[in-house]
Amino acid sequence: MDAFSGLMSGFQVAFSLEGLLFVFIGVFVGTFIGMMPGLGPISAIAIMIPITYSMDPSIALVMMAGVYYGAIFGGSSSSILLNAPGVAGTVATAFDGYPMAKQGKAGKALAIAAIASFTGGTVSVVLLMLFTPLLSAVAISFGPAEYFALMFLGLTAIASLADGSAIKAFISATLGFMVVTIGIDAQTGTSRFTFGNPNLLEGIDFLVVALGLFALAEVCTLVLNRNEKDDGQSKNIGSLRLSKQDIKEMSGPVSRQSFLGFIIGVLPGAGATIASFIAYITEKKIAKNPEEFGKGSIKGLAAPETANNAATSGAFVPLLSLGIPGSGTTAVLLGAFLVLGVQPGPLLVQDRPEIFWGIIASMYVGNIILLVLNLPLIPYISKILKIPRPLLISLVIIFSLIGVYAISFNTFDLYLLLAFGVIGFFMRMFSFPAAPFILAFILGGMMEQSLRQTLTISNGSFGIFLDKPIALSLIAVGLLTILFPLLKGRRKYKVS
Amino acid sequence: MLAKTNQKAALVVAVIAIVYLLLSFNLPGYTNALIDADVIPKGLGFLLLFFALLLYLDKKNETEADKEKRKISKQHVINLLVVAGMILIYIFLLEMIGFVVMTTVFIFVCSLYLDYKHHVTNVITSVVFSLAIYGLFNYLLKINLPAGILPF
Amino acid sequence: MKKLFGTAAASLLLVTAAGCGNSSSGATDEDGNWTPTQPIEITAPAGPGGGWDTTARMVSQVFEEEEIIDQRLPVVNKAGGGGAIGWAYIAGQEESPHHMFVGSPPLILVPLNGQSEYSHEDFTPLANVIADYGAFVVKADAEWDNLNDLFDDMKEDPQSVSIVGTSSPGSMDHMQFVKIAKAAGVDVTNLKYISDPESGGLTSVLNGSVDVFTTGVAETIEQVRAGKVKVLGITAEERLEGEVLSDFPTAIEQGIDETFINWRGFFGPPGMDEAAVTYYEEKFKELNDSEAWIEIREKYGWGEMYMDSEEYAAFLEEEAESMQALLDELGLARE
Repeated sequence: MDAFSGLMSGFQVAFSLEGLLFVFIGVFVGTFIGMMPGLGPISAIAIMIPITYSMDPSIALVMMAGVYYGAIFGGSSSSILLNAPGVAGTVATAFDGYPMAKQGKAGKALAIAAIASFTGGTVSVVLLMLFTPLLSAVAISFGPAEYFALMFLGLTAIASLADGSAIKAFISATLGFMVVTIGIDAQTGTSRFTFGNPNLLEGIDFLVVALGLFALAEVCTLVLNRNEKDDGQSKNIGSLRLSKQDIKEMSGPVSRQSFLGFIIGVLPGAGATIASFIAYITEKKIAKNPEEFGKGSIKGLAAPETANNAATSGAFVPLLSLGIPGSGTTAVLLGAFLVLGVQPGPLLVQDRPEIFWGIIASMYVGNIILLVLNLPLIPYISKILKIPRPLLISLVIIFSLIGVYAISFNTFDLYLLLAFGVIGFFMRMFSFPAAPFILAFILGGMMEQSLRQTLTISNGSFGIFLDKPIALSLIAVGLLTILFPLLKGRRKYKVS
Repeated sequence: MLAKTNQKAALVVAVIAIVYLLLSFNLPGYTNALIDADVIPKGLGFLLLFFALLLYLDKKNETEADKEKRKISKQHVINLLVVAGMILIYIFLLEMIGFVVMTTVFIFVCSLYLDYKHHVTNVITSVVFSLAIYGLFNYLLKINLPAGILPF
Repeated sequence: MKKLFGTAAASLLLVTAAGCGNSSSGATDEDGNWTPTQPIEITAPAGPGGGWDTTARMVSQVFEEEEIIDQRLPVVNKAGGGGAIGWAYIAGQEESPHHMFVGSPPLILVPLNGQSEYSHEDFTPLANVIADYGAFVVKADAEWDNLNDLFDDMKEDPQSVSIVGTSSPGSMDHMQFVKIAKAAGVDVTNLKYISDPESGGLTSVLNGSVDVFTTGVAETIEQVRAGKVKVLGITAEERLEGEVLSDFPTAIEQGIDETFINWRGFFGPPGMDEAAVTYYEEKFKELNDSEAWIEIREKYGWGEMYMDSEEYAAFLEEEAESMQALLDELGLARE
């Protein structure tokens, strides 16, 4: 069967009455679970697996895919409204989404997030449809050396995340990197900095750090300011309507990050979180007005929201065409496939074209449903901000606590959360930015492991990077991003 | 005075770096590793020490806004400590007493402490919120939050 | 305000005091037959979605839906420490007949690596239900066609071959390779093993960064069907059943007399009453033979391996000894 008739059979699945119904159920449940504290796509899929047992495999998988990207879609509301990311992929969303909400533009922020997610999702499905067989080669082109280079490139952007002193940004980043070295080292099995505490062996979960540094630190600020005469602004939801100017502003990041996010999603191991961060820092790098980032920039909100949804579709490339789960979430999704007797892999497109293409086709529908479902809900969801301050503070604290508890069901992590809240508060007090901390925390762990994997393979020789064109060019770009501002600064200095 | 804040912060960072380095040098070795578990941590430790030095030497003055951020009244400090204390009690008792009771009590007490005067709304919100979340997690999603003293 | 606050705090204390009651221990009739009197909590020592969690949830489902056990069996996740947190939790439920957890080789390996206070010896084995096996995979155009080709090269220079697994040295992926390679005469103290926790092992083999991927049998089937990789050997006693699966040669038939079983079964807290153990043994046997369970096992591709409490304990003892010896040799056994 050729690709075209395969695609047609896929559309038949997706547009059948049953198909539409279950795509709807999938994205609805996904969005809903994604909004819950601590429950992201992994739990959403795991929860839904038993329900699919007796279903037709193609319909069931169309639904499961919907649960997956629905959960990523749903996670952004709490980031924007409360500065409390419920899912790792939406941490970068809070950087500009929350400041926007505080300026009384919550409605607009949620609308931008929804539209950016929708566009990222849809563009990437087109890419998925056209290029999956080709891209499977890209997905396996990344070995340890290439991953190291990619993480290195990401880390070179730290300076750009500073909104004051660059030294403080570097200190934050180094601290973030240090925190991620806690736990069992994968290459040797040595437990590092665990003080014999079994709770630390698996390392500290990303959400513990993110909710502590962002949500709890924000709670402190809210507690301090709770009696300030409200100018009414922070409770204002504002209009949902985007002006022409707004659309123009977001069109750049959205179109770029749909592609970039997708490509990063294709790489096994990278995923939505890394994609959203890389999107944020690249947009900040190339923006004409980078100083607006972190203060409610439309670009800064649209970029990560586009990228995390695009990466979600990207993650289907290695899953469907190679049977390789690129992340914890797709590993659970792979489990869902297996339960239904479907084995994703290089032969799926020949053996079960209706499933392969059905999932892809359904994602068009799913993204439209998500948009239609979410836009009208925005005024209701953003009513959260109307809750009186004291009550809101209590609820944000509880949201963060449940969010962490639902990951490990372990109270130790809750104490850690509180500790990171305190650290986050002091970092704010002394103007150490939190974003570089969290960026280094995400990229650092993978960077260290991939570097040591690479050097183990090469018997300790750095020459291995010279033999790998992709790795070499990524490192070169990284070095340029460091050196370029230095050179530019120097020239300015000379002129003056 | 202004320059001193940065230098004090630099000293704190340096102490963190030194403690981290000490721990790194005490990591057990693994004979079969080409690059052992301690290499990157040592590098990070020295890097942090270097940044601490740079911060210490940084003559850039703090802006007024930065200084303003640190002005907290004694009352506010007490507020923060009490809220932190309530979170600690919540965490400590969560698995013993159970999610529903603790969450209801926490939301009510914490809001009350932060001067929320509408007691009826407060009671309704705290009860409905915790019951709703509990029901959702435990019955709909089958992810069990601690039941504690309640029989369901 | 102050007063109201005080009242609330006092009521909090009251509630605390009330929370300290404890649960009953089930019912035992005159013949010494024990039956549960309250819900039985199954702990998965990991977060939702993984192998332990899935096994626990499936077992709970079959017990409930087939009415093998006349109580609810809620699954509780206790993640962290590679299982150590969940084990510590169960160790704290001493003698309770209403708690159990799902275990597999890490229950032996993690304590030997010095990462858990509790090991299989601290718990009451109830029954084993599932067995999986390891597979060693290379790229389809690799120079080796069987384990002996590979091990011959490694005997000359162990460092000439790189091996990747998902978990760290001293854990399952590593140890299954070490166990077989050692039996073939390779110097296992000098292996070039890298770990890729982001599940990039298969990718690394496909793009040629690494030579051998050590993993579970099920993960390899589709890649073999597509002709991308070949399986040099598996760690099972004899060939497995099923399309593609039956083509995988065992290490034993290649003259390497060694196996590695990824067993999965259930354990109770320390000192569980004999009568309760007998009860669970029978129930797990019933589960093992039920249509519903067989169907689930096929869906997930799990092999059958039922052992009762006594057989299980003996089996675990043997496994632990052989792992201890290997870890000592590798210098990985830690206190």
